Amino acid sequence: MNMPSEAQVTFFLTGRRAAQELEALDTVRLRPAALAAYLDLTRLRHDFPVVLIEDAGEGAAFAALSALVDGVLESAPGAGEQTRLRAHALRIEREIRTLVANGASDRLPALIDSAAARVAPLPDRAFAESVQRLREGMARDGLVVDCNAALPRRLLGHVWRSVARVKGEAFRAEAERLMHGLDAILRADHAQSRRGRAATELRAAIGTAHAEAFDFERMAQLLAPVSAESTLSPARRARIESVLTVLRGQRFFALPGSAVEPYAFEFEDCASALSAFRARLPEMAALARALAVAALEVEGEYREARHDAVFADFDLTGMDAEALAQFPDLLVCLNEKALHTPENQALGEMLESGLPVKVLVQTDDLLEAPLAGSGHLAMGSRGRQLASMALGLNEVYVVQSASSNLVAMREHVERAMRYVGPALFSVYSGASEHIGGLPVYLVAAAAMDARAFPAFSYDPAAGGDWASRFSLETNTQLERDWPLHRLEYEDSEQQRVVEEIGFTLADFVACDTRYARHYAQVPREKWNGGMVALESCIAETARGLPERLPSLVMVDAENRLQRVIVDDKLVREARRCREMWHSLQELAGARGGQAARAKAQSAPVEPQAAPPAAEASPPAQMPAPAAAEAPTSAPPSDEPYIETPRCSSCNECIQINPRMFAYDANQQARIVDASAGTYRELVEAAENCQVAIIHPGKPKNPKEPDLEELLKRAEPFL
Amino acid sequence: MTTMATECLLQLCEERHEIEDYQGGVPRWCTGCGDNAILAAVQRLCRDEGLHPEKTVFVSGIGCSSRFPHYMRTYGFHGIHGRALPVAEGIRLARPDLKVFVNTGDGDCCSIGAAHWIHAIRYNMNMTVFLHDNQIYGLTKMQASPTSPRGTKSNTTPRGSYLEALQPLSVTLGVQNVSFVAQAVDWIPEMLYDIVKAAYHHRGFSFIRIVQRCPEWLPKVWDPWLHDPSRIQVLTHEDGVPVSESLAKVYRNRLEHDPANLNRAREIAADTDNIPVGILYRNPEVPCYEDLRASTRLRTTDYVKAGLETEFDKFTIWPQA
Ligand SMILES: Cc1ncc(C[n+]2csc(CCOP(=O)(O)OP(=O)(O)O)c2C)c(N)n1
Ligand code: SF4
Ligand code: SF4
Ligand SMILES: [Mg+2]
Repeated sequence: MNMPSEAQVTFFLTGRRAAQELEALDTVRLRPAALAAYLDLTRLRHDFPVVLIEDAGEGAAFAALSALVDGVLESAPGAGEQTRLRAHALRIEREIRTLVANGASDRLPALIDSAAARVAPLPDRAFAESVQRLREGMARDGLVVDCNAALPRRLLGHVWRSVARVKGEAFRAEAERLMHGLDAILRADHAQSRRGRAATELRAAIGTAHAEAFDFERMAQLLAPVSAESTLSPARRARIESVLTVLRGQRFFALPGSAVEPYAFEFEDCASALSAFRARLPEMAALARALAVAALEVEGEYREARHDAVFADFDLTGMDAEALAQFPDLLVCLNEKALHTPENQALGEMLESGLPVKVLVQTDDLLEAPLAGSGHLAMGSRGRQLASMALGLNEVYVVQSASSNLVAMREHVERAMRYVGPALFSVYSGASEHIGGLPVYLVAAAAMDARAFPAFSYDPAAGGDWASRFSLETNTQLERDWPLHRLEYEDSEQQRVVEEIGFTLADFVACDTRYARHYAQVPREKWNGGMVALESCIAETARGLPERLPSLVMVDAENRLQRVIVDDKLVREARRCREMWHSLQELAGARGGQAARAKAQSAPVEPQAAPPAAEASPPAQMPAPAAAEAPTSAPPSDEPYIETPRCSSCNECIQINPRMFAYDANQQARIVDASAGTYRELVEAAENCQVAIIHPGKPKNPKEPDLEELLKRAEPFL
Repeated sequence: MTTMATECLLQLCEERHEIEDYQGGVPRWCTGCGDNAILAAVQRLCRDEGLHPEKTVFVSGIGCSSRFPHYMRTYGFHGIHGRALPVAEGIRLARPDLKVFVNTGDGDCCSIGAAHWIHAIRYNMNMTVFLHDNQIYGLTKMQASPTSPRGTKSNTTPRGSYLEALQPLSVTLGVQNVSFVAQAVDWIPEMLYDIVKAAYHHRGFSFIRIVQRCPEWLPKVWDPWLHDPSRIQVLTHEDGVPVSESLAKVYRNRLEHDPANLNRAREIAADTDNIPVGILYRNPEVPCYEDLRASTRLRTTDYVKAGLETEFDKFTIWPQA
């Protein structure tokens, strides 16, 4: 029997199920076979729970608990000790996983303690040692969180706060440095001023021990004539004081000892984020300006002639992306359901105008009822649409991922949070009320595998072409339409069978109670060779009666294999889903698509372009080697001259006649006016010059006395 | 961030300086003294590098050469004999924003200050050090110094000195953490300038021994080298200092030497027949002490006061009440 039955074909084509032949799909009892192995996640070392690391600085802001444990195990000494530590650590890890899955919400050290107390209630020295080593080895503090509806917000909020903290630290250090520097300028001025040298101030400066030894009144009188009112110009003082006022009154960062309450940067909706940003912009500009002026003042580099004009114009136009990047970015956490028209508009506006905003759009229900009666599955369409709109803007960092995959996407998540400019995070939580009985983690992971919610990232700063900016790398088996899972089972003859089955959109949708009518369970006795994997017949568009029907392998509560057929409507959805996946692959250059081709071509083209350009230029007129030094070839020896570049600035000649000899800009001697002195002076200078670089030439005045003798003395220097 | 904006603004106000901007008092050195040439080269460097006089400091000990800071219109510290280097190290730690130069004589550095010299090399703090080596105590009117050639007749060695001269280059090259050693002679100003410049650009303790003539007390000692260019051995290398065409015509004794080669540098330094001129050794990888000990802690008045009080309290003898 290799053909589907008539009832099966009818179901496929029309979705009508003949009750006596086909059973309804029980979405609670039956699970896609690929998921069967993962139902108890507490027994599996996977990416959850996650530790939201406090004070991570520039390091990773979060990490899988299992990865932290592995880190400790890797650095453990000695093989024997390692085995024991390993056994203990893994038991504690599993216990923490169970605690967190059951709703415990605590920090890592506390959870290690409660897990340890549960695993080994009685004192056990070896175990206690392992616990100690684990605590020390992890040396991290932070909330431990599981994969659930609250995760995307918690995790992204945490990363955002880590980035904001680093910025805050940098600002604090810089602001304190500048305020200290400006303050020092004012104090130095005071110390030199008449007020600063008044008797009372002088007395205070000496301290109590020896105060009686001095007459401070007299001291002040003596100092008064050499003390100015102020060494600072009124303009400079005003500038410094106004900068200090701005720095002290700013509300963008919490500074220790500051009386002003800092602004909030986390918002529930885009409209209020946008209006807060607009309202604060003038203050941001004032602060950025104050920082720049302060830095110049502290360096002593503020030049009124040049800088006054620059800073007079330094208003909002001075606030480019780089300037904005020193402030905390805005964080908006939204649920996809909240994206109504005005909210959408505000979001679009923020992203388009490149505001420093990080937006999380969380999707909980991927398979909600079709919009606008298109008949298609929505597949998280609002979040997805938003993500593709943001991709189109080119300047937005976009991260899309199921929550289960966020650990794998950590680097992108952190880079996006640090990105100078807007970032959009589209996250599917997996917490759908229509999917019962499966852990949220598994649902989220299933959505990704089914390519219903593929993960991708777009980093505008990552390179010149799409293939380098756009990445699908965290998706499983990304070169395939759908990933293959290994399925091992015993058949009716108790033989072990290993099969590889693809996890398709239909497998994912089969978990959702609302779509059960698109599936029909085929009783074991009605199984036939015409029931084939969906992937193998998805390309066939039905003409006439189909000979093969797409079917899924599922597992029931008793762990028995069941086969389920799918109707054509769902196959069409799977096909659509596959096409969307293909276009993503193409963007990433993974399908030999346009991006990949462009990349492949660009390599040989560029080097070829260079030679013709070089050939085109005429034989280069080589610039003469920088002629820093004067020529050393001797000028006509009738004229007196000095080999100036060799002059060692010894002053001999200058002292003989400073009108005849003088230094040039490099403090080396030359003859400036040979007629300003006698031939005798020239000859004496030549004799006294230790490096012998003065050449007296021939006498100009034939009447000068003793010429004959002088000419003789000049001979060695001609 | 702000730094970027500030950098742009700083570029905006880059100023041209003239050599006069760096000239302080009129030098009181003897006419013909080699220190004049060193002063000219250093002032030229300041001008060409656009150093800000208020961000530049010259530190010296005692001696003719140590009068150098007076002749610079920058900050200066004319210290005590032999202690230029510790003072410079303190400045470097307290004011990392300043460019630090040190002028020291052969007596100042190699005699009374020798211990500081050795340790300063090892600390490798970023400063440019000029050893004005005239082989004599000049200021105190001619006493033999450690670098005086054997047989030097002086007020302390009327029958001629008995010991072989100490070789400052060899000593410096022998100390752990040495990072830059060069030699120049005052009478080839072009090379002197280039070497000073290379030393200035090296981050670390840049030591230049400058063979400096003292026509007042040792008028003839350098004549054999002064009048015979073939005894000046010019070190050439692509990582060394350039030799101009005109110089190359006069100074034909050239030796290709890679400044990264420490052992070879030591061999060259040991040659007393020739005067090697150029960069003997350069290693930019040696860490600077001030970087190793860098602290981001802001030095507020209170912080400094508290630190000083703690130190002073260790020594205070309280007056009887
Ligand atoms: C502690 C101390 N000891 C001795 C002296 C005397 N003194 C002054 S300068 C000098 C030697 C200077 O020789 P050098 O350092 O070579 O400098 P030059 O004058 O040759 O440039 C001496 C010993 C002093 N000033 N202080
Ligand atoms: S005497 Fe010779 S070395 Fe001295 S300044 Fe004059 S030219 Fe220069
Ligand atoms: S005594 Fe010698 S070193 Fe001192 S200034 Fe005179 S020439 Fe120069
Ligand atoms: Mg000396």
